[in-house]
Amino acid sequence: MYKVKLNTFEGPLDLLLFFIKRDELDIYDIPISKITKEFMEYLHLIEQLDLEIAGDFLLMAATLMQIKVRMLLPKEVDEKGEEIDPRADLVKALLEYKRYKEMAEEFSVMEYNQRKINFRGNFSADQKEAPEEISALLKNITVFDLIKAFQKALMERPKEIVHEVKKFNITIDEQIEFIMDFVEKSNYVHFLDLIRNMHEKIRIVVTFIALLELVKMNRIGINTSEKLNDFVIYKLNDGKDL
Amino acid sequence: MEKIYKSVIESLIFASDEPIGASEIVRAIKEIDGDDIDVTNKDVEETVDYLNNCYEENDRAFRILRIANGFTFGTKPEYAKYIGYLSSEKSRRRLSQAALETLAIIAYKQPITKPEIETIRGVNSDYIINSLLEKNLIAIKGRAETIGRPLLYGTTDEFLMYFGLNKIADLPKPREIEEIMTDSDFIEQKRKIMMNEIEEELEDNTSTEENGFDTSE
Repeated sequence: MYKVKLNTFEGPLDLLLFFIKRDELDIYDIPISKITKEFMEYLHLIEQLDLEIAGDFLLMAATLMQIKVRMLLPKEVDEKGEEIDPRADLVKALLEYKRYKEMAEEFSVMEYNQRKINFRGNFSADQKEAPEEISALLKNITVFDLIKAFQKALMERPKEIVHEVKKFNITIDEQIEFIMDFVEKSNYVHFLDLIRNMHEKIRIVVTFIALLELVKMNRIGINTSEKLNDFVIYKLNDGKDL
Repeated sequence: MEKIYKSVIESLIFASDEPIGASEIVRAIKEIDGDDIDVTNKDVEETVDYLNNCYEENDRAFRILRIANGFTFGTKPEYAKYIGYLSSEKSRRRLSQAALETLAIIAYKQPITKPEIETIRGVNSDYIINSLLEKNLIAIKGRAETIGRPLLYGTTDEFLMYFGLNKIADLPKPREIEEIMTDSDFIEQKRKIMMNEIEEELEDNTSTEENGFDTSE
């Protein structure tokens, strides 16, 4: 892949001018397919860096592709019968922009010279407290430091913990009845059989609590089972074994 | 004009916070000493030249400058680094490339709407326009009569002061597109030479100009 050094560009026109200058292209005969390719590579690079591509760049990408397509089609002609170069509007925009970019450079020189002249009342706008610390902090900061910091902030943002509260329609009373039904029918029941068809953990828990409750009330008794990790629940009549 | 008025004019320019115009000086004098006093705008101009000659002869560190349609005292450039030592970082910060570019468009095409600026720059310019407004370098000059009646922007007196201009007409002339066509490389070279010179100069002054002169594009 072609590596593009990521300069700061003021916009898509600036970027195109950069390509034209770097590759010494003729602005009046721009190789559209070459420049479109480079433009798209730059956009992909921005994408890889996870920067949001400004709409202006996308618009230019679309414009370039449209020009590319029009270049392939039979030449259009204007009312005078002259061929219309699909690139004409783009070239005009580039030149117009270049013109003001140049003036910005002139302005920069004027600014530089003028800054050496100090007027009376020059310091009134100065902050009284020294912003030393802040300016020291801002030194050497690039846009990439900002992106890094931003991504770090996104990553380290405290996770929102959502506790879901589900309501179960299981009550201890219900399960007491359920257990008693079992023991009434067959005098005793194995615990594992009791919970065999229960899918939710909570139901088993509630049943177990109901079991303990019944033991406390002396309505059932519990005995070891021949099976490992199981026990037998049997019916008590007024606290006495049958 | 009586000789005393040379000093009066000097005192008015000295005391004024902002550049003071010739007519304003004349008005102030006539207000105090009466309408029949013989002081004209031309006298003021001549007095300023006379005063500047005096300062020059006596090696004074300042001059009266013609800026933003008025007169104001300003120090000579060679003392900038010493004065800069006193001023805060903030007053030394320069305009960004984007800001200069946008200012250039507004300066030459004013009054101009935001969409027109954005068409030339090919990029959204909300932020830049707002920051230029905040810096008072541009101002809203009205509304265009087109659909949506967008705001029109133009440069301010602060703009003229910032760039050391007396009036907008003193701006360097932008090259015509046809001209760029013929010698774009020549200008590019010239610019590079200019920038290099500035950079060299800057390196000499680095002790005071920490904030560096940014020539990168």
